[in-house]
Amino acid sequence: MISLTDLHKAFLVKDKRTRAKRRIEAVRGITLEVRPGEIYGLLGPNGAGKSTTLRMIAGLMRPDRGRIEVCGVDTVRRPEQARALVGYLSTDLSVYNRFTPRELLKLFGEFQGVEARVAERRGMSLLEELGLAEFADVRMEGFSGGQKQKVSIARALLHDPKVVIFDEPTTGLDVLTAKTVLDLLRVMKGEGRTVVVSTHVMPMVEAVCDRVGIIFDGVLHGDAPPHVILERWGVATLDEVFFKLADGELR
Amino acid sequence: MNGALLILKKEFMELSKDRKTLFFTFVMPLILYPLIFFMMSRLGRNDAASRAGRPSRVCVTDPSQVFSPVLRDAPGAFTVVPRPPGDLRQAIRDQKLELSLEVDPAGAEKLARNQSLDMRVLYDNSDESSKLALDRFKSQLRRQESLWVQARLKSLGASPQLALPVKLETVEAGDMGLFLGKLVGSFLPYLLMIMMYAGAMQHGIYATAGEKERGTLLSLLATSLPRTQIIIGKLLYIFSIGILSALINLLSMAFSVGRLMASNGAADAPAQAAVTGIAALATPSALGLTFLLMIPLGLFFANFILLGGIQARNTLEASTALTPGIFVVVLLGVFSMAPGIEKMVWLPYVPVLNVSLAIRKLFSQQGNGFEYLVALVMTVVLAGLMTWISTRMLNRESAIFRV
Repeated sequence: MISLTDLHKAFLVKDKRTRAKRRIEAVRGITLEVRPGEIYGLLGPNGAGKSTTLRMIAGLMRPDRGRIEVCGVDTVRRPEQARALVGYLSTDLSVYNRFTPRELLKLFGEFQGVEARVAERRGMSLLEELGLAEFADVRMEGFSGGQKQKVSIARALLHDPKVVIFDEPTTGLDVLTAKTVLDLLRVMKGEGRTVVVSTHVMPMVEAVCDRVGIIFDGVLHGDAPPHVILERWGVATLDEVFFKLADGELR
Repeated sequence: MNGALLILKKEFMELSKDRKTLFFTFVMPLILYPLIFFMMSRLGRNDAASRAGRPSRVCVTDPSQVFSPVLRDAPGAFTVVPRPPGDLRQAIRDQKLELSLEVDPAGAEKLARNQSLDMRVLYDNSDESSKLALDRFKSQLRRQESLWVQARLKSLGASPQLALPVKLETVEAGDMGLFLGKLVGSFLPYLLMIMMYAGAMQHGIYATAGEKERGTLLSLLATSLPRTQIIIGKLLYIFSIGILSALINLLSMAFSVGRLMASNGAADAPAQAAVTGIAALATPSALGLTFLLMIPLGLFFANFILLGGIQARNTLEASTALTPGIFVVVLLGVFSMAPGIEKMVWLPYVPVLNVSLAIRKLFSQQGNGFEYLVALVMTVVLAGLMTWISTRMLNRESAIFRV
């Protein structure tokens, strides 16, 4: 269960030309709730505030104002406890290249306080599920983007989190790997986890998301199941909603 | 603290996977110093041996033949060669000969009349062989002068002892240990500082700005480890590498110098004394107290590197920001090597420099308990303060998410 109430976040950016500092409102008054067993899709153009929102839910950033609760834990007051409940996957297709997947998962198991034996078993099971078991003892230097993303997913899910936050999980992946990720999202939904994903890939939103939130200029404009969004906008696909968003029609 | 140790473990695990970096950080210094010292010693000894075993080539202009027979009487030391064509100075610079001697044309006559005769020597001070030729000439001249004076005194019916009013005996008050202690004490702080900083810098950048650049830092921050512990873990790693680098370099250098001294010691007594001196220097108390000072100093440097590394957007920016630190450390080190700094009354109260001073005094057997304690306490406070600043500053999102 995730609960966001009137969330605000701003950044100070320096203008290279005038040297003046400017305040950018990245997130403005977002309020939403995601229930267990639900996949929530955050949709919006680049710079809309998706990643900032997800980072705040994952306890990586503190909101300037508002409240975030993950399974009843306040992420500002108790960030460590909140992070223990969250499996976070960032947009970067980056892993510790010098390690093998097995070594990486063992290490992150220790970071998350998972018993070594359990981490090994669960890590291998995740690698098998993601079709990467045969590469468990190969250094990740030569891995493709897709393979690295799979290892990152296994890393994010290793501690069996109740809440899963994937920031653009299929960006840069081939169709087959993207399908594996989508299948995994469905499995997680089936297991009763609370899942939030941000993406640009519209078919993915339509295929797996129970509800969609359209975020633009830091403001959440729609929060409904995909078919309701389509009806509300009078379009056939979410792609068209996105185009309208990008054209600035929303404003 | 457990989280910080886990981060430290992760950093060392990462390092252990990179054989090249491991080799250049920990193995190379063990090979490099013995190799450099061996080559230097070998070349130096060969050069000295070849110079010592070869007579110096001297061109003599001595129409009255007052001194040239003296040189010819020392065939092991001198070879009288004909005057080369052209400029004599250039001939010496071109190493066609080592020395040119011009004796007063009326030398024999002046000598017979008990007058002073003039001699003029031309040599090249920048050439070791030419300097050796001059030393040999002066020694030969002293002997000959003594003979001439004694002959003059004898002809006057006076005692030859008149030429030697004083018999000087020089006794060394210090010992080789003290001499070496002062020498080592003057450059050891410099070496320790530069090795701790330079040794840790690249590893620190890899573990901080490098993690940002590679995009792995977020995955670390997303774990349930407290952020302060992640920062302290990184700090411990940078600190450990700095201390290890300094220790390995110093050990290798000490071993090489020891070997060098020992190999020379077989040939001559002063060098043997040097070996004894070095052994006397390496007292457990001097080494232990030096190591105790290195800990907070290393932590201070590690904090500096950590701050520069995390605040930077990428490794290039971090390198650019931290490299000038090497020059600062070099300047501090050079200052600590300057003669007479131990007499500056305010120096024991200047952070970092007081560490140099304390180490310098420890090794020159002039250790001052109060000054040592001041240096230790000040450096501990400084390191603690820097750690507090680092953890505060690096907990800021503006530092971590600055990309």
